[in-house]
Amino acid sequence: MNAAMTQDAILKISSLQKRYGEVNVLKDIDISMAPGEFLVLVGPSGCGKSTLLSCISGLTDISSGTIHIAGRDRTNDEPADRDIAMVFQSYALFPNMSVERNIGFGLEVRKVNEAEKKRKVAEVADLLKIEHLLHRRPAELSGGQRQRVAMGRALVREPKLFLFDEPLSNLDAKLRVTMRTEIKRIHQTTGASIVYVTHDQIEAMTLASRIVVMKDGVVQQIGTPQEIYNKPVNAFVADFMGAPSMNLMTGTATREGEHVRLQIPTPEGPPLELFDYGPGPETLAAGDTAELTIGLRPEAMTDLGLRSGGMDGRTLQSADCLLDVVEPAGADTYAVVQLGGTEAVARLSADAPVAAGQRVPIAFDLSKISYFDIASGNRL
Amino acid sequence: MRRSLVQSILLYGCALLLAAFTAGPLLWLAVMSISAPTDLTEVPLRWIPSQLDFSRYAALLSLDGGNGERFLSALRNSILTAGGATAAALLLAIPAAYAFSRRQASMVLLFAFLATIMMPPITYVLPLYSTFSSLGLLNHTVTLIIVYTAMLLPFATWLMKANIDVLPVEVEQAAFMEGAGTAYTIRQVVLPLALPAIAATAMLSFLVAWDEFFYALIFTNDLSAKTLPVAIADFSAGRVTDYGVIASVGVLATLPPAILAIAFQKFIVSGLVAGSVKG
Amino acid sequence: MLGRRQKREKWILLAPALAVLALITLIPLANTLWLSFTDTRISALPEPVHFIGLENYVYALTDPDFQEALFRTLYFTIVSVGLEGVLGVAVAVLLNQEFRGRTLLRALIILPWAVPTIVNAVAWRLIYHPDYGALNSLLFQLGIISDYRSWIGDPATAMNMVILADVWKNFPLVAYVALAALQTVPEDLSKAAAIEGAGPWKRFCSITLPWIAGPLMVVMVLRTIEAFRVFDIIYVMTGGGPADSTKTASFYVYQEYFNYLRSGSGASYAVLVAGISAVLIVFYYSVTKRQTAGGAA
Ligand SMILES: Nc1ncnc2c1ncn2[C@@H]1O[C@H](COP(=O)(O)OP(=O)(O)O)[C@@H](O)[C@H]1O
Ligand SMILES: [Mg+2]
Repeated sequence: MNAAMTQDAILKISSLQKRYGEVNVLKDIDISMAPGEFLVLVGPSGCGKSTLLSCISGLTDISSGTIHIAGRDRTNDEPADRDIAMVFQSYALFPNMSVERNIGFGLEVRKVNEAEKKRKVAEVADLLKIEHLLHRRPAELSGGQRQRVAMGRALVREPKLFLFDEPLSNLDAKLRVTMRTEIKRIHQTTGASIVYVTHDQIEAMTLASRIVVMKDGVVQQIGTPQEIYNKPVNAFVADFMGAPSMNLMTGTATREGEHVRLQIPTPEGPPLELFDYGPGPETLAAGDTAELTIGLRPEAMTDLGLRSGGMDGRTLQSADCLLDVVEPAGADTYAVVQLGGTEAVARLSADAPVAAGQRVPIAFDLSKISYFDIASGNRL
Repeated sequence: MRRSLVQSILLYGCALLLAAFTAGPLLWLAVMSISAPTDLTEVPLRWIPSQLDFSRYAALLSLDGGNGERFLSALRNSILTAGGATAAALLLAIPAAYAFSRRQASMVLLFAFLATIMMPPITYVLPLYSTFSSLGLLNHTVTLIIVYTAMLLPFATWLMKANIDVLPVEVEQAAFMEGAGTAYTIRQVVLPLALPAIAATAMLSFLVAWDEFFYALIFTNDLSAKTLPVAIADFSAGRVTDYGVIASVGVLATLPPAILAIAFQKFIVSGLVAGSVKG
Repeated sequence: MLGRRQKREKWILLAPALAVLALITLIPLANTLWLSFTDTRISALPEPVHFIGLENYVYALTDPDFQEALFRTLYFTIVSVGLEGVLGVAVAVLLNQEFRGRTLLRALIILPWAVPTIVNAVAWRLIYHPDYGALNSLLFQLGIISDYRSWIGDPATAMNMVILADVWKNFPLVAYVALAALQTVPEDLSKAAAIEGAGPWKRFCSITLPWIAGPLMVVMVLRTIEAFRVFDIIYVMTGGGPADSTKTASFYVYQEYFNYLRSGSGASYAVLVAGISAVLIVFYYSVTKRQTAGGAA
């Protein structure tokens, strides 16, 4: 993040803390967000995402720190004065009002004149394809339609910043995918700045321009989906992001000349041996051996060896593995291999001629490897 | 579980007994109100009236004749007093309830509210009497409305608070985010959602005010302000020699609350249970 | 900031209610307290008022009539609330069974509750009438009594007859609360106990009763507070008589105020009665709190 960008940040959170009595729910949060960004806060349930969003909105008072929105200190401002809009998980539509009045409520409160209000509501209704619903009540709408109305209410005021709290979690799986695309489309057409909370890492990966991964009230990593996915800063992020998640195997690494020798124990016999010709774990000095966590995503453990046999022996290395369980999943077949004290998952092609109990050569892509400290879980 | 014959007989026997105990006095009151005066002074009693006599109701519901005037003005005063106090109490109770439910007002304070109406009225009555007397406000419907408002307010606040508690808070937050103030949010968002609760609270409040006797006895002394309970006590205290008249006044005064209670039984019972048990 | 604004708003929202309660209850309460230390009398002409310290209290506490009134009130309270409790629970158990007409009966028992207190008093006064009352006639015709009685004209029976009338009106509340609680008793619990061989009475005592004890306790204490200030039904049915046998504390204070016009000493009686009520109210608060805390767990 360069200095100019911080200057123009649409949202800048500095040293934010939130305590409920003795409990520190948010610890020293620092986040900066550029205009037009789609920032996704992701983390397991109870990690403080909603609380953080609520602090940004002003619905919750913070214990210490500052919040700047569009360059102005908004720490002590009312929610209504922060130039933001929020879409709630439960939609929070006004049940006694028509869709039209729901969407126009913010304008009504601000005493925008009737014609102007009608025009803006119509514009937003058009964008969200809900013109035909304007005279209905929320109770007469489907989940997806309510979702659109909730977004309409946020969009109509053209605020500087949009806050979404798990907006899709009340929808069924299929609708969730549709609405996800819809939200992405709206972001692209309006160029709005969005802070979006979800516990669903797939949603995070597909929507975000940048992701903030949280755990226990602490920001673990901020980065683009690619950074988060390929270079997780710790074992938690590695495990949380991606489905199936990264295989975290315990093994040893020894630096031998130009490569690092990796040994991953297997229950059935001699350990699996791989050679990392890349930089390897930075902290490992020449000749040293260390026990550590070796992280490889399922798509870095494939059946390429079965099909082509063309191993270059450097980034792509083959080793025989005993398949414990084989789970066809349509586009892919997942195979479970007992490696380094964990049930490592390999992602094979759908038509791979394999069955449980077989020993087959698996191709390991070492360009995608990550190392983590066993004790701290931090990336090495 | 299957019941044996003995159990069934026992069960239905108890049910009948309960029905008789509950309905008996009311039924008798109704019968008295339509029995001929001579039937009511037979010894032992004639249980079934020799003829149906609705003349008392006719007399009570017509303005000419002392009893009719006394009854109708008391009815008017009771409706005005109970209605006015209910409206005023709700008007004050709704914002207070919102403060307790959504603005972290202390529960101890709410309990202090409730404690004020649990105290015996003799604690308050004399200073109130002196004040109203010196203000020339004795024997005014307004006086009773003021006192009843204070009497209904704590319970109404409490019931409304319990009902606002269960409304989705996010809807209100959404209104705040959209820029609405608290007053606007209460009016436009909370009240429409709480309408059933308001109706239930209003009904219970009305019934409590309709029933009040002590303050009315002390603060009123003639037709212009006496409420039904006081008028009934007067009827019963002797001016009337026909017991059937007393019975018909009783029946008429019971009809409004009884109809409300039966029609809105679920509403009222849940309000009662909540009101008396939850803290 | 939200927190600060909310604090300010809280008091704005509460202010009207607080003002009304202060004017109609708090200030009069303080005033009554002040009166109780004076020799004020109700009179048309202004009279000099003297501060006489605890004199009224000394007199009140040694006044055998007042003590008797307190004991009578206690008797009324304990017996009527006790009966309402027993009858209420019994009715609730009955109404919790399945039988034809249950819905009707459930609706029926709301009627006594809906009957205005004064109408209740008047109706029972007529029922108890020594010459033309339904009770005398019924019992005579059933052969239970051989002579008509003066039920509320006889000091020996008057209080108990008033209590019966009070119980009739107030048992529905207890019954409804008990019924609501009964409906939450898990069926499994009772079934399990039945399988263990517990009889119906034992099941009731060891499972049902403890389960509904919390809410039952709360409503009984509430009824106790109400019963303790009994006035209306006494005023209409007996006027405190015969021979003062139904003169309760509230009635006693009422007479001191409005018959004998002694506001000073009346106020001291009122304060003493209020003190006892306050103890009951604090007790109510503690059981309610325990109940909600237990209910939430
Ligand atoms: N009003 C509150 N009082 C006390 N603790 C709270 C309150 N709101 C949230 N918490 C706690 O803060 C933590 C974070 O909650 P939340 O932000 O809702 O998590 P998320 O949205 O990530 O699931 C949780 O442990 C929760 O119990
Ligand atoms: Mg959440």
